[in-house]
Amino acid sequence: MPARRTARKAAGAGVTLAAAVTAVAVSAVALRSSPPAPPAARSAATGGPPPPVVPAFAPGAPRRLGSTRHVSVWAPVQRSAAARAAPAAAAPVVAPLSSRTPEGTRNTVAVLERRRDRSGAPWVRVALAVLPNGTTGWVPRAALGGYGTVHTRLDVDLDRMRATLYRDGRAVFAAAVGVGTAGSPTPTGRFYVRNRLSRYRSPAYGPVAFGTSARSPTATDWPAGGFVGIHGTDRPDLVPGRISHGCIRMRNPDILELARRMPVGTPVTFH
Amino acid sequence: MTELTFDALDRDEALTEAIGELFGSTRARFLRTATLGSAAMLSTLMAPSEAAAKVSDLDILIFGLRFERLQATFYTQAEELGTIGRMSAAKQEWARTLGAHERAHVRIIKQVLGPKVEPRPFFDFGEDNETGAAFTRTAVAMEDLTVALLTGVMPKVRDRRLAAALFGLLTVEARHAAWARNIVGAAPAAQAFDEPRTLQSVQGAVARTRFVVRQPRTSAKRRPRFTG
Repeated sequence: MPARRTARKAAGAGVTLAAAVTAVAVSAVALRSSPPAPPAARSAATGGPPPPVVPAFAPGAPRRLGSTRHVSVWAPVQRSAAARAAPAAAAPVVAPLSSRTPEGTRNTVAVLERRRDRSGAPWVRVALAVLPNGTTGWVPRAALGGYGTVHTRLDVDLDRMRATLYRDGRAVFAAAVGVGTAGSPTPTGRFYVRNRLSRYRSPAYGPVAFGTSARSPTATDWPAGGFVGIHGTDRPDLVPGRISHGCIRMRNPDILELARRMPVGTPVTFH
Repeated sequence: MTELTFDALDRDEALTEAIGELFGSTRARFLRTATLGSAAMLSTLMAPSEAAAKVSDLDILIFGLRFERLQATFYTQAEELGTIGRMSAAKQEWARTLGAHERAHVRIIKQVLGPKVEPRPFFDFGEDNETGAAFTRTAVAMEDLTVALLTGVMPKVRDRRLAAALFGLLTVEARHAAWARNIVGAAPAAQAFDEPRTLQSVQGAVARTRFVVRQPRTSAKRRPRFTG
């Protein structure tokens, strides 16, 4: 029975592939403005060699990358390390860098600069999710995993209480937001999205919550240290408004839309 | 022109390790001094049993996409990191052209595979695309490997039109390999005959480079503890 099932599965895959190849071949042939004469007719007429087999597909025109001005680089932290004030093993420690976030996800950092020390070993300057906000430090390249790149950035205007997502410099999404109160304001500065949480049972956070590298300078006794998130809400009637302990709150349809468009690693500016 | 050795391209010994694992340490040691592209070296890379290697057209396309994605990401990321921008004008032209070609290959194979497309893998090239020298060295190895892979799988392709399409990729990849070798001052065509490699042996070699890694787990189903 398993062998028959495997055979059936393989046959199914074969049919699917054949159909896909045929579809692409048909469209490729249709694109040609003047199709060649039927092979049989041409061979018979010229007595020459058989015509070439029509390829199942042909790649489109190669496209070079556009400007990389809007590209930001991030990296997962593969192993915990000390972030240092300079790219050298003897430089003072700025802060420890953990490989995990308080939520249990792989920690990530925004990559700001790359340099080599005197021995030629590579170091990376990264943004750190510590107080004071905006702190950066150097870590050995080997502490980080493969680089990821994003073409997005999120801008949150705290005065207008509006968030705008840009992709390759073009606004692709905007929504009203709730921001921190006067006594517990949203910190200003440049940060990045560290992780994404969903499918939890906590209506106050809505269906999706993004963790950022921003920390509240006033809510330091908050569980996990007062990280600022971007999330949904069970009180959409309060958005826009100055309503939170520092987090950015969105109506649930808006946070779901943002979740479809904003990858982890996206730079975030609160201003 | 200088001869290019496998050892020069495999400084972290990832490929040598892979070959040692597949075919034994004696062969791996032999490769360290073998001239890249030589028939002796490439035949060493062949799998022990061709007959045991039963692959379908779908297998070939799926692995082909994985390999093209590896190459496309390697070139794209080198450009995004600024590595290519810091190279000479001739090298920039070479690297940008190859990157554009590999991205075009990814697009068409994805289109052909449709719902059979695997999720995009995550790559960790370490330092191999961060400096011009490391980038160029790795690009040469990748392009040579691609030619050997396509040469090896072509006779196994059952659909004639698919074979015709893959021949179109093979000839372009061979030009890439020759261009890359020329860029590093190696003989563009070192030998009169390219020995094939099996899909399995290339899979093994790619796996041991550790370029393809597990996607970092950056999302979770846990209750947030953000400031709210």
